[in-house]
Amino acid sequence: MPFRPTTARADRRYAIDGFELTGTPDTARHLLADVWRARTLLVTLARQDFFVRFRRTSFGVLWAVGLPLIQAVVLAIVFTRVVRIQTGGNYGIYVFAGMLPWTFLSGTVMNGSTSIVDGAGMATKIYFPRAVLPLVVLGSNLYGLLPGIVILLLGSATIGEGLQADVVLLIPAVALMVLFVASLTLLLAGLHVYFRDLRFIVQAGTLVWFYATPVIYPLDLAGGTLRTILLINPATGIVTMFRAAVSNTGTSGLAPAVIAAVVWTVVLATAALVLHSRRDRVFVDLL
Amino acid sequence: MTIDPDPDGEQAPVADFGDDDELLGGPLPEPTAAAPTGPPIIVMEGAGKRYVKYEDTPTLMGRAVALRTRTKRSQFWALRDVGFEVHAGETLGVIGRNGSGKSTMLRIFAGVTSPTEGRVAVMGRVAPLISVGVGFHPELTGRENVYVNGSVLGLTTREIDELFESIVDFAELADFIDTPVKFYSSGMFVRLGFAVAVAAQPDVLLIDEVLAVGDLRFQAKCYARMQELKEAGATVVLVTHNLQATRNLCERTLVLHDGQQVFLGPTPEAISVYHELLTTAPRGGTPATQKTETLTPVESITTTLLGPDGARTAYVHHDQPVTFRVAVRFRAAVERPVYGLLVSSANGVTVYSESTELKDGIGRVTAPGEVTVDVRVSPQLVTGSYEARGVVHWGSTADERVGSRAVSFYVSGRRLVHGVADLHATFEVEAIGQP
Repeated sequence: MPFRPTTARADRRYAIDGFELTGTPDTARHLLADVWRARTLLVTLARQDFFVRFRRTSFGVLWAVGLPLIQAVVLAIVFTRVVRIQTGGNYGIYVFAGMLPWTFLSGTVMNGSTSIVDGAGMATKIYFPRAVLPLVVLGSNLYGLLPGIVILLLGSATIGEGLQADVVLLIPAVALMVLFVASLTLLLAGLHVYFRDLRFIVQAGTLVWFYATPVIYPLDLAGGTLRTILLINPATGIVTMFRAAVSNTGTSGLAPAVIAAVVWTVVLATAALVLHSRRDRVFVDLL
Repeated sequence: MTIDPDPDGEQAPVADFGDDDELLGGPLPEPTAAAPTGPPIIVMEGAGKRYVKYEDTPTLMGRAVALRTRTKRSQFWALRDVGFEVHAGETLGVIGRNGSGKSTMLRIFAGVTSPTEGRVAVMGRVAPLISVGVGFHPELTGRENVYVNGSVLGLTTREIDELFESIVDFAELADFIDTPVKFYSSGMFVRLGFAVAVAAQPDVLLIDEVLAVGDLRFQAKCYARMQELKEAGATVVLVTHNLQATRNLCERTLVLHDGQQVFLGPTPEAISVYHELLTTAPRGGTPATQKTETLTPVESITTTLLGPDGARTAYVHHDQPVTFRVAVRFRAAVERPVYGLLVSSANGVTVYSESTELKDGIGRVTAPGEVTVDVRVSPQLVTGSYEARGVVHWGSTADERVGSRAVSFYVSGRRLVHGVADLHATFEVEAIGQP
């Protein structure tokens, strides 16, 4: 036998995992500990999910750089040569800075909200916190975000307004975005197990949401009630923060929008935690 | 993210423990039901699992309607009031008919789902072999999939690094480890999955029908590995319809019926209880042979199986005589009845049939009443499940009435005998040259 001899349980080298289940729902703290313990799984699956897309393609991972690059170039051309909106700086960079977080948000929410149901093949056979499945989508999209951020920084350093100290805002911007998107996706993924209509509601909602977020137009274009609505929209805070990191212009309403996004995040995170800690082990019954 | 381990569906070769004697190359004693000694590893206390019937799962629209009409969703208990302990180093068999709650129990043991009521505790790491190769991605290489599958099973990257070599050795895939698994044969696929699952010294092995691990030689290797883990104190739960496997591997066996724990104890008794359940609640509806009651002089035929001690049983040894007691209730006189016995295998093949001769005066029925026929048999059959039913003819063979209720029983046959009939062969082996 090529295996190490296993003489006694006392010899075992790996932590003894075990579990106790009763009909009562779990605590949020317990769930968080479980998710933390499953971090290897989370990272492995996220990396697999991201990199497996480029298997057997000629250009491989270059596509991860190529796609956002092409998007940036197209936006730069369209919004400096075709559509002209005066914001002071390079409008192409301005739109790309908004497009980047938006693409991450909408992509993660759309794929992540169905992830528990999509992962039934695995989830019905072995236990891991179901919250891992939507988080894998988020993690995978984070890999995809990285080249986009590099392109954004390069673009703003060359054809934009140049990089200033404000660029550190990217760190809280990414953090806020990840927390918000994680909370929303976790909540939707849990609810989707019970209400399968949610898949289409999310698809339709994201469409509306895009235009309700100042991605391809500046916030200042809207006034009155419309501006208030845009400020309450959590995506506005995230998008505006990304912009503030690479541009001095078009960042009005940053503070209220960010506060709104933080409040949304706290509310959604609480709801997601409650849902997942109560339902984690019984989602599978409906898969 | 692709999760389905086998994109073409249930393609894995379903081998099983059936021909264990062959694959182990030697006779295997039936495990004795020693009193469990080790610490409890799996504990179930009053555990139950309730499901909502799938077709009643509410949609948003359905909910809105239900609010008004107050329709109750139908629920059923897949498992109810189950309580037992499985100890370290023990192998527990779980048998029961389809829908008896076996899968639900396995899911609970795997921690996949939580019981609705009661308590379930599993002390230690579980390797659900029901999930061999879960998380395998066809585009990834064997090496990459070992890491994915290992992390699904709860190992850290460092732990997988340490185990990697032994996993590849065990799976015998050193030459193919950097090939995408979609080019693997299904045997290679399962070998790798099994190797990962057992690599991490699991405390609990959950095994169902699919010990579909390649060829016989690899199965023997898996079996040896299981024994090794058992000797090291691992607990094995085997859920299968294969009673031979259960009999050969399990000290104790649990019988489930309609979600209830019917019996827990020595495997032969469990197998007997299981067959009695098959007898009392036969599969399918009314037997096709049943004729219109009013036209026949035979009202009912009941067959029971009595062991050597005269007590009812459903588990018999090939070398111990048993008695089939056929009770025939006549509603009219029959001049020349013929009594017979028909034994068929689990898949419906008649293995044996014999009857009394067509003579005047044997068991002649002059008035309505009951006739008891004791058929003494030496059940020299091959190990397996069988059914027996009493048969009565009268007049011509067209007026035949076969006992509608068959008695199910299990025969523990001679070791190393397989096939349909036990011919009691003797082997004379003569060596040519120097042995």
